Amino acid sequence: MDGKKEKRIGVFICHCGKNIAGGVNIEDLVESSRQIQGVVYVIDNKFSCSEDGQVAIQKAIQNQKLDRVVIAACDPALHLMTFQRCGKKAGIEPGFVDLIDIRKWTMHGSPHRVDSEQAFEKSKKLIELAVKRISLKRLIPLVEVKVEQSVLVIGGGVAGLEAGLDLADKGYRVHIIERLPTIGGKMALLYKVFPTNDCAPCILAPKTAYANIHPNINLLTNSEVNSVEGYIGNFDIKVIKKPRYIDAKRCTGCGDCIEKCPSKVTDNVYSAGMGQRKAIYIPYDLAIPKKAVIDAENCLYFKRDACRLCEKECPTDAIDFEQQTRTIELKVGAIIVATGFDEYNPTEKSEYGYGRYDNVITQFQLARLLDIDGPTKGKLLRPTDGREPKSIVMIQCVGSRDKNANDYCSNICCMYALKHAQMIREMVLPDIEIYICYIDMRTTGKGFEEYYRKTRELGINFIRGRPSEIIEETNTKNLILKVEDPDIGRLLKIETDLIVLACATIPSSGTRQLSQILHIKLDENGFFKEVHPKLRPVETNVRGIYICGAAQGPKDIPDSIVQARAVASFSDSELRKAKIKLPGYIVKARKLNQGGS
Amino acid sequence: MEEVYVEDFMSPGCVGCPAVKAMLEELSIEFEDKLIVEEVDITVDTTRATQYGIMSVPALAINGILKFVGVPSKEELKKAILEEIEG
Repeated sequence: MDGKKEKRIGVFICHCGKNIAGGVNIEDLVESSRQIQGVVYVIDNKFSCSEDGQVAIQKAIQNQKLDRVVIAACDPALHLMTFQRCGKKAGIEPGFVDLIDIRKWTMHGSPHRVDSEQAFEKSKKLIELAVKRISLKRLIPLVEVKVEQSVLVIGGGVAGLEAGLDLADKGYRVHIIERLPTIGGKMALLYKVFPTNDCAPCILAPKTAYANIHPNINLLTNSEVNSVEGYIGNFDIKVIKKPRYIDAKRCTGCGDCIEKCPSKVTDNVYSAGMGQRKAIYIPYDLAIPKKAVIDAENCLYFKRDACRLCEKECPTDAIDFEQQTRTIELKVGAIIVATGFDEYNPTEKSEYGYGRYDNVITQFQLARLLDIDGPTKGKLLRPTDGREPKSIVMIQCVGSRDKNANDYCSNICCMYALKHAQMIREMVLPDIEIYICYIDMRTTGKGFEEYYRKTRELGINFIRGRPSEIIEETNTKNLILKVEDPDIGRLLKIETDLIVLACATIPSSGTRQLSQILHIKLDENGFFKEVHPKLRPVETNVRGIYICGAAQGPKDIPDSIVQARAVASFSDSELRKAKIKLPGYIVKARKLNQGGS
Repeated sequence: MEEVYVEDFMSPGCVGCPAVKAMLEELSIEFEDKLIVEEVDITVDTTRATQYGIMSVPALAINGILKFVGVPSKEELKKAILEEIEG
C-alpha cells in the first residue's frame, strides 16, 4: 500500500508576481513549510505556472526524488491540470500533485482578502493540511468506460441549435430538447438583430430548417428533462414529452383547424401578451416543426367535452385527443445546457407603472409589435386605443444594475433599445419623437459604437437619467414623467404616448430545477456557473456537462454562437476518445447515491 | 498503524451532513490522532468536489478515495476507516 512507504514531498510556493508575495511573507511560509513532517524540499517561485516555474518543479522532482508535490498558489480550477501535466512529465502520477489556493487571502479584489498575519496563518495551515492529505492519498483506481457517441442539447434556441448542428455535422447523434412546441428560442421573436439589422428569422430559419431535416438530429419539442443519472460518456436521461394532441406525421401545417377553432386566448409566449391566438395554433409562420398544437387548458373539448371542430376540419385526420405524456429514455455521452433567458417582470418596479398602465410595455413586447409577422403585422399601435404613437420614451436598466432587483448589467438592453429606435425612425414612424433615458450607454461589441453614433445621428433624444415616477393622464391615457437631464441641468417633464422598459435578462424559468437534476451549480445571479469565468467559461462542475449562451449569463447572439461552438468542441474532444478512464468510484457513485442534499 | 485522512464534503443547507459530522466527531475520539478530518464546504471550496466528481453531499473521501455518497451507517464508516488504519 502507498501509505506505508516514506514519502518525499515537495512544496512549491508561488509569488504570483505580487498577488501573493504582496500580501504574505513568503520567506516565513517557506520556513514553516520546511518544518512539516514528510516535506523534504521547499522552494518559492515568482510564477510557478510559467515555463520557467514548471521547469523548476520538474527539476526538483527529479533531483530530489520527490514522489508527491504540493503547490501553494491559485485556484485549482485555474491551474491544477497545468501542474498535474507538469508533474506527469517528471514522472509523478497526476493524482499526487495538489494545488491549493493561498492567493485568495492576498490578492487585491479578492472577497477573502485578509491582513498579512492572517494570510500567513491561513496559508500555513492549508499547506500543512495539503501535505498531510497528499502523504496519505492513495492512487485512485481507474475504470475504462465506453463513451456514447451522442449528445443531449437542452434548449432549442440559437445557442443550442448552433452547438447541436456543429456536433451533428461531425457525425454524432444529437438529441435537442425544447420545452416549447417550436425551436428557435427568443431569437425567432426578435424580428431584427443588431448591429447588422438583419431580419432575425432570415438568418435563423436556415438553422432551424436544417436541424429539422438533419439525419443525425432528433428534435424533441414540447419536452423537458425529467432526470439525469450517470457520468461523462454514459448519462442516462429521462425526458417527459408532453402531448401535442396532434399526430405530427399527419399534420401538414395547413392551418384549417385554426380557422375553425372558436377559443381565443392571449398569446403570452409568441406575442409576449400583445396579441391573441387560438386554443389550437401554430406558433408562427416559420415555426419548426410547423405543426399545430392544442393548448389543453383553453381547448373547449378538454374544458367541457365540447366542440371538436378542429377534428372535423382537419383534412388529414391529424387531431389526436387521446395523446398522453410519454417518457423517453436516452443515453448520451455529453450534455449541453442552452436554456437561454427570460425577461424580468417589471411589475416589481411599481414606479414605472407596468401592469397598471396599459401604455407601458417592455422592449420584448415592442419587438413583437414591430415584427411584420407579429400580432399587429408590424404596425406600432398603442395598446389602449390602437393608434400610432407620436412619441415614445424608452427607459433603460429596469431591474438591471439595481441593488433592489438584479445587481448585474444585462448586457444587451442598450443595443436592442438602439435597434428599436432605429427601426421605428427609419421604417415605421419617421416623424415620431423618441427619447432614451439611460444610466450609461454600453456599446462595447464589434460595430456597436458606430451603431450608437448612427442612432444619435437619426435625431433620437438621449437623456442621461431615469425617471423616478410615471403618472397616467386619465382621459388620454398618455403618460407623464419627470426626469433630470444633467447635460442641460434641467428637470424635464415629458408627456408621451408610449413607454418602453428595457428589462433585465434573468435566468429562464426552471433553471434552478434543472441545476438540481444535472447537479451543476448556479452563480450568485441564478445563471449556470462556469468552472472559471475567464479560462473555463463553458465547463461546469460536472465533467461532460457544458453551458452556453444566455444560460451562462446575459449575452448577445454573437457571443452565444461563440460559446455554442466552444461547447461543441469540448463535447467532440471527449466523445472522439470513444473510451475514457474514470475513477472507479464515479462509475459506482450512482449505486451509492442515497439521501443527502 | 497508518493515519487516515477523511475529507468530509458538506454544505450548509445539507440535510444529511450534520449526521455525518457527528459520526466523525465520535470516531475522532475513538481513533484519537490517527484520524484527521477536513470539512470541505462545497459552497466555499467549489473545486475540490469537482475533482472527485461529487454530485451531491454529504460525501466522504478517505485517503483520496471517494468512499461514500450519502449518509453511511456508523458501522460502515468505522469499517472503512479501520481498513485504512490497519493497512
